[in-house]
Amino acid sequence: MADSDYEYEQDASDDEYIGERRSSATRAHASGKRRAREKPRKPQAWETSTPMTTSIDTYKEAADGNLQQSVQEREEERKRKRLRKDTKPFQRGIIRHVTLVLDLSEAMLERDMRPNRYITMINYTQEYVREFFEQNPISQMSVLGMHDGLCIRISELSGNPSDHIAAIQCLRAPKNPKDGPKEPKGSPSLQNALELARATLYHTPSHGTREVIIIFGALLSLDPGDIHQTIKACVRDRIRVSIIGMSARLRICQEIVGRTNGGDQTDYVVATDQELLRELLLATTTPPVIRSTQPAFAAPAESAAALMMMGFPSRVVEDVPTMCACHGMLTRGGYTCSRCSAKVCSLPVTCPSCHLTLLLSTHLARSYHHLFPLRNWTEVSWKRAKEKGSRQCVGCLSAFPEPPPEDHENGQNGDAHQETVDGADGKRLVDEEDEEQKASESSRYECRACESHFCIDCDTFCHMVLHNCPGCLSQLPASEVQGDGDVTMAD
Amino acid sequence: MSASSSQALEYLELLPGSVHKKLYDQPSTALAIFRCMLPHLAKTIVMAMLYMTGPFPANDLDAWFRSDAKREKDKAISVLERLHIIMLRQETSNQISYQLTKRFAQSLRQALTGGGTHRSFGVPSNQPDAKRVDKAFLDEYARKQWENILFYMVGSTVGLADSNALGRDVGEGTKALLKAGDFVRIAHGRVHITRTGFEFVLQEVNAQVWSLLIVYLKHASQLNMSETDVLSFLFMLGSLELGQDYTTTTLSPTQLQMLEDLSAFGIVYRSSKEASTFYPTRLATTLTSDSVSLSTSEPITNSLSSAGHRAGKGYIIIETNYRLYAYTSSLLQIAVLSLFTKLTTRFPNLVSGKLTKESITRAVRLGISSSQILSYLSAHAHPQMQKNSPVLPPTVMDQIRLWEYEGERVETHNGFLMKDFGSESEFRELLEYAESLGVLVWKNEEKRVFFVDRVEQISLYLNNKKRTQDR
Amino acid sequence: MNAIDGTDRHIKTDEAPPPSLLAIVLDTNPHAWAHLSSTLPLSSAIANLLVFINAHLASGNANEVAVIASHTHRAAWLYPIPQSTTLPTSQNGTSNGDMETNGAPTEPSVPENPNKYRPFAIIEKAILSNFAKLLDTTKESDLASTPTTLVGGALSLALSYIAKSTLLHSPVDPLATDNPLSALADSETMHAQRTPLTSRVLVISVSGDLANQYIPVMNAIFAAQRRRIPIDILKLAGDTVLLQQACDATGGIYMKPERPEGLLQYLMMGFLPDATARRSLVMPSAGGVDFRAACFCHRKVVDIGYVCSVCLSIFCTPNLPDNLCLTCGSYLSLAQAQTATPAVIPRQRKKKKKRVGGTDSATPGGSTPAGSGTPVHT
Repeated sequence: MADSDYEYEQDASDDEYIGERRSSATRAHASGKRRAREKPRKPQAWETSTPMTTSIDTYKEAADGNLQQSVQEREEERKRKRLRKDTKPFQRGIIRHVTLVLDLSEAMLERDMRPNRYITMINYTQEYVREFFEQNPISQMSVLGMHDGLCIRISELSGNPSDHIAAIQCLRAPKNPKDGPKEPKGSPSLQNALELARATLYHTPSHGTREVIIIFGALLSLDPGDIHQTIKACVRDRIRVSIIGMSARLRICQEIVGRTNGGDQTDYVVATDQELLRELLLATTTPPVIRSTQPAFAAPAESAAALMMMGFPSRVVEDVPTMCACHGMLTRGGYTCSRCSAKVCSLPVTCPSCHLTLLLSTHLARSYHHLFPLRNWTEVSWKRAKEKGSRQCVGCLSAFPEPPPEDHENGQNGDAHQETVDGADGKRLVDEEDEEQKASESSRYECRACESHFCIDCDTFCHMVLHNCPGCLSQLPASEVQGDGDVTMAD
Repeated sequence: MSASSSQALEYLELLPGSVHKKLYDQPSTALAIFRCMLPHLAKTIVMAMLYMTGPFPANDLDAWFRSDAKREKDKAISVLERLHIIMLRQETSNQISYQLTKRFAQSLRQALTGGGTHRSFGVPSNQPDAKRVDKAFLDEYARKQWENILFYMVGSTVGLADSNALGRDVGEGTKALLKAGDFVRIAHGRVHITRTGFEFVLQEVNAQVWSLLIVYLKHASQLNMSETDVLSFLFMLGSLELGQDYTTTTLSPTQLQMLEDLSAFGIVYRSSKEASTFYPTRLATTLTSDSVSLSTSEPITNSLSSAGHRAGKGYIIIETNYRLYAYTSSLLQIAVLSLFTKLTTRFPNLVSGKLTKESITRAVRLGISSSQILSYLSAHAHPQMQKNSPVLPPTVMDQIRLWEYEGERVETHNGFLMKDFGSESEFRELLEYAESLGVLVWKNEEKRVFFVDRVEQISLYLNNKKRTQDR
Repeated sequence: MNAIDGTDRHIKTDEAPPPSLLAIVLDTNPHAWAHLSSTLPLSSAIANLLVFINAHLASGNANEVAVIASHTHRAAWLYPIPQSTTLPTSQNGTSNGDMETNGAPTEPSVPENPNKYRPFAIIEKAILSNFAKLLDTTKESDLASTPTTLVGGALSLALSYIAKSTLLHSPVDPLATDNPLSALADSETMHAQRTPLTSRVLVISVSGDLANQYIPVMNAIFAAQRRRIPIDILKLAGDTVLLQQACDATGGIYMKPERPEGLLQYLMMGFLPDATARRSLVMPSAGGVDFRAACFCHRKVVDIGYVCSVCLSIFCTPNLPDNLCLTCGSYLSLAQAQTATPAVIPRQRKKKKKRVGGTDSATPGGSTPAGSGTPVHT
């Protein structure tokens, strides 16, 4: 144990090392979608140690007297894991049609999440809906529930987050006092869920994606018929299913996800704890990559790409209240449809009278960061840090730790260290995008374009919230290059 | 505005306008009062008016505030008026407007722009001092002096006074001051802490300093020192830089005399009584800032109240089973804790004990309120505890309050019992009247009796009624 | 006897407003300031700004400030001062974004002035010297290359600085938290708890067209919106819809003074109140903001546009050459654009499928929820 950890600390080529890294990678991120292809076998959930034990092991085993350092690195590593997105500008399905299927079967009464799975799920889903529409403002969603063998519709397909959130809240606290709160009951049926989802998504235009995201707590599916027929039908209808399981992996889920995603099973993930559930759920807010292998893509007649007509209405403020077309209520202001002049209260919305998509230009801009993502920053070795002489983060001006003097105490492994770092550098040139994101020994992270160094907090902030590189944008030539580069890269 | 500065504000508000006017001559004072005495909205108003060319019409001011913030606005305006920072001007018959007092505006502008030759932000000594001291020394010095004072107050109550030298070398002047402020009482040659003294001890350091200084100010006039001089010197101290030595040559005689007293408190440091320079300590430089949210330096509690060099400022851990662990070796802190805790074990860096009913009720009897205990505990909670929300375990918080309430089951009111009413209607009528006056304490409708704490208006009312009936 | 209110557990009577961090982005575009020189020269604008900064610092004991110059060829820190990247000396102080710690390197050079409050003096010195440095390093070629200013970069710097400061101010030590995922990653839960630092950004803008930075600025706006950081705009010259949108989206103040020479009064009255004070004040609002989109092909403002589903480019006409998107080159079918959604779901098909499956009650139709809902309750 101690030996292997020793390797872990310094030798990147060790087998066990890679196994360890990969396994935690799958644990952390569901959106490493394209990665699974290249890797023939990916460890299953039970093969990886749970996050708890890993961290304890590592704390304990960092026996080279540098405990503080390793704890900090570990911390940074965990922070960075969330970042690991595909930053190659892939074509993504920006206009998404999603049915979110919630498991309302009795398995959700399990208390392995606090207070129980059901309440945890309801809470996270509300947050998820908000985040989803934040990230995908021109997308549509519908919420379904698997309850007592049936699949019930919780909310209709629409682009209004508050409708969905209200509907989800109604599950526990119904508006109509006669209905009791909907408690989890019976068994779930994946087939019924997929059928209803398919029906919901049937008429959606082909330029958008059709996705089903299932939160599945049970370890069984009680289906009325042959689910494989349903899977086939889903494949035919271009529906992609992602499943977030709980507690264990199921063969049937694996098959559903694999078949509907062109053989890629990375969209089937299992949440072992509450935090992971939330994380996995939020990971699906990133628009999915469009696969060229999809049958729909192969036939240009049914091509995914389309030119959509959209209205950009301006805001009106009226002296006299008038009726709005969306709720039929008297309001004093709103937006008038650019085509039919119907008044709507809020945007984005599909015009209730002429079905034109109405939105603000800012809504479109919200999705740009998916199309022109900020590339991941690389770890900086001590050697590189010295070379650049960086002393503080470009973004927040907080100081970096000083590079160790040449003859550092653990000098006997210093040479080996340098070499591996060089090796890593070399590898970076070859497949830089595929490199695992891990903590940097010098606590610095370098933007590839502008070669500025950032701290871990700015790294996460810039990639998860800001989607800009402060370094690149602070220099004129770099920003021009980056701007052009991004556009041409988006193929 | 923090709790500490609010006492100072109360004191300032009581000063006459002429003192205010004199105070505002110094830009440092104007700035310090602006920075730490004014409520937040008042600052906003002052700043909006500072560079305004004319007076600010009251109507415009009202329009600037939201309708639901009228109360806050009125509060801010009244503070400003009481401090003579703004004046009300009657422009025409039905138009009033506000204007900043000229001197205050001028001084504040100077403070912001850094103009003028007032030299009110302290004149640094330009001679190289051979015996220069560093910040750590100053912190240590301030901590020692201040803990001495506190220990002097607490020591005898908890029976630790004789066991060590702490609290011995408190100057006579300080002792007199503590007595004058009614923090301690001396009976039979022993020091007894008073109720106000307890409040004092449980406060944050910054608030303690202000409390003591206000007592000092109140007694300044007896020592033939002008309040203005004392106050402006204090405000100047608050704007000095820690670790810098300042010259005494520009100070007035009053201020020189003050220096001596203040160095006894640990607020300033002088290498000797004749030294031509002085160093402000952290106690001084944080006078006009909040000690908690201080951004320019480490929180004062860090350097002052914890003896060790712990990273966090808190040291107390409380469990839901009322056990208390305090990572401290400071006798003072142990003494303060022992006021309301049953301490059982002491280790080199840790004391442990339990909050018991007896210990809390004893503290309550001594005059410490449950909220003081709770605020002390949460202010000094260990960083691990501070991650929780609320910081203290709710059960413990509730129980401490309940223990206090237990001692207050009987509430006494002096008053009058009204009984023997002739009729139901007479009873009702008087009852309603008493209720509307707000003097009703208790009633029993079946027995037709009620209890009031004031009787003057009721008897007047009864007499009037009698008279009308008689007529 | 009063009932014992054991549930009243809040102990912090937080009457003091939380410390406030003001990040100022000063647009130092020389082209634009040259136009303004008759009414408000840059030097007096900076003098006014310094007074404003002092006023901000005086308004709260823990208030902080950060100043960034958005110049033509680079965005540069004016305060706090970045350390020079050359000689790495041993500087092991945990520089945590506090003004004092970061101001430390220049401290010896600040002359002791008894007429000035020392924190003010430090900041003033730093800003002035950095600004002079920035102007010194500006070459003519830099100016000639572009007429605009790097507001996007400056905003990004400001926001990442704010993000870090907020982290450092949060009651829980961000490095020691046992839940690292929630530390920075999710802004929502962070805000649900108490935020001990309120931040805002003030952009003093003089430049006009910022279209070349549309995406970076938009990204910055959304980041600010997510973190609830208002972006205030003081527009001394020029006009950009982009910055108006920034105010509108983040709840900031947009002001375009008629008379730029009264800068200080505008700053003091309009922009000094922090989030706490703004709750009780009537703040000027942007009024009507133009949210219409400009097409990517001719920069025409359009009411109805045609949007590429792949890259979301907006075009004013559906007739693109070869039906290829001008931005991303995808083949776009126009037929889709016109079609409305079919109103009726092909019920027939579904029924058939279901019958394969089983009972009628499993039919995913409108009647299902009611059917399953009633027996549960009654």
